[in-house]
Amino acid sequence: MDSGYKGYSTTSFGAQGMSSGGGFMPGESNSPAGARSEAVATVRPVTIKQVLDATQAYAGASHQIDGADVDKIFVVGQVRNISVQSTNITFKIEDGTGEVEVKQFIDLNDNMDIDASNPTAVPLGKSQVKLNGYAKFFGRVVTTGNRRNVFSNFARPVTTVNEVHHHFLEATVIHLYFTRGPPQKPDRNPSGAEAGTEARAPGGMGVTDDYGVAAQGRPLPPMSPGARKVYNLLKNEPQSNEGLHVQYIAAKLGVPVTEVVKAGDELVTGGLIFSTVDESTWAILEY
Amino acid sequence: MSALQAPRILPSHLHAFHPSSAHSRTVNTVRLLGTVTALRGETAIITCGNHGDVTLQLKADSHLQMGKLVEVVGKVVVLDGGQALGVRVLGSMDWGNPAECGTYEWSHRFSRPDIFQPIHCRETPPTYFQNTDYRMYEYVVDVTHRYKKIFYDSND
Repeated sequence: MDSGYKGYSTTSFGAQGMSSGGGFMPGESNSPAGARSEAVATVRPVTIKQVLDATQAYAGASHQIDGADVDKIFVVGQVRNISVQSTNITFKIEDGTGEVEVKQFIDLNDNMDIDASNPTAVPLGKSQVKLNGYAKFFGRVVTTGNRRNVFSNFARPVTTVNEVHHHFLEATVIHLYFTRGPPQKPDRNPSGAEAGTEARAPGGMGVTDDYGVAAQGRPLPPMSPGARKVYNLLKNEPQSNEGLHVQYIAAKLGVPVTEVVKAGDELVTGGLIFSTVDESTWAILEY
Repeated sequence: MSALQAPRILPSHLHAFHPSSAHSRTVNTVRLLGTVTALRGETAIITCGNHGDVTLQLKADSHLQMGKLVEVVGKVVVLDGGQALGVRVLGSMDWGNPAECGTYEWSHRFSRPDIFQPIHCRETPPTYFQNTDYRMYEYVVDVTHRYKKIFYDSND
């Protein structure tokens, strides 16, 4: 992902986005553009509400949930309607958090045994997904116009209620991972963590860990992913005791200045960083 | 949108999802999980683990069976002539025998002692496994209301 940002900033920004001139509004530079081609292949368990609430920087950009790009997803829901069309089967599924249409495209090579007299039996015969039954769908989030759908590659029925519950717990864990960072490890040796941070630091941006421990190995308080990125940059980037300027941070991370300012405010409020020579230059508060 | 949301709850949360409750304006459809312990024509009672009973107002085509674990989607209503709250059933899902729920995988694996041979139990799965499923539901209910953002719309 980081290399994606770099590639983007060198080609499109030209002067590393540091120049204040030019007709390029920082607000328009959205990181997903850079990240997209580099998008890591992930599978994320989500609730349907999360699918509906997923944001998209612009049409065609990858969707984001909790500020993180989503590639493939899992949803578990009760099938409320099945409609079979010539090219796809559309399942309307509902999981108590919302309702979404899941389209499963029919692989023509795969359906030599289509029974025209009983079309619903055909593709379902393979997956056995039943009306009003629970099923787990694997697919990706797609936005067409203002409709949010899931294009599914694979579906299978869920036969035990435990799996439904497990899915929601898993979705919650991942949601918390992205909004509050990974679970803290109380047994982690602080000095060991410090050493690890030191070892990574020389690489700078390229090896920055998105989720780390605070300076001196203290666990970081919960914060937004943006704030975490800014904090990690401030921690790892070589700098004078004046810290780093907002513009520099924005260019380094390849995110809009407004986002950095927001993240900075959050960190200042949390007492993790402080402003040095002016309002928009920050340094880590070593406490 | 909100009409399609039905948060998972326990009997003690019923009041919060009754239409008269201030913070329930967005959602008053809920999901409950329980074992059917009484069937009385148009009403039924489900027992939700050790969280008490809930009276259900059935619809004509809800075919509940005694002793089965069911998941019910319904609206929170005031029961006839009483202060008590119940649920008018919109849909139900039969999850089978509650005792089997936690042991589904186990019974499958027990038929393959070559790949799975627990040392502490050879014949029947341990009882804690039979009860795990409702504990899991309790956790789901807990996170549903703790981290509402990913489960349902709420005014607070």
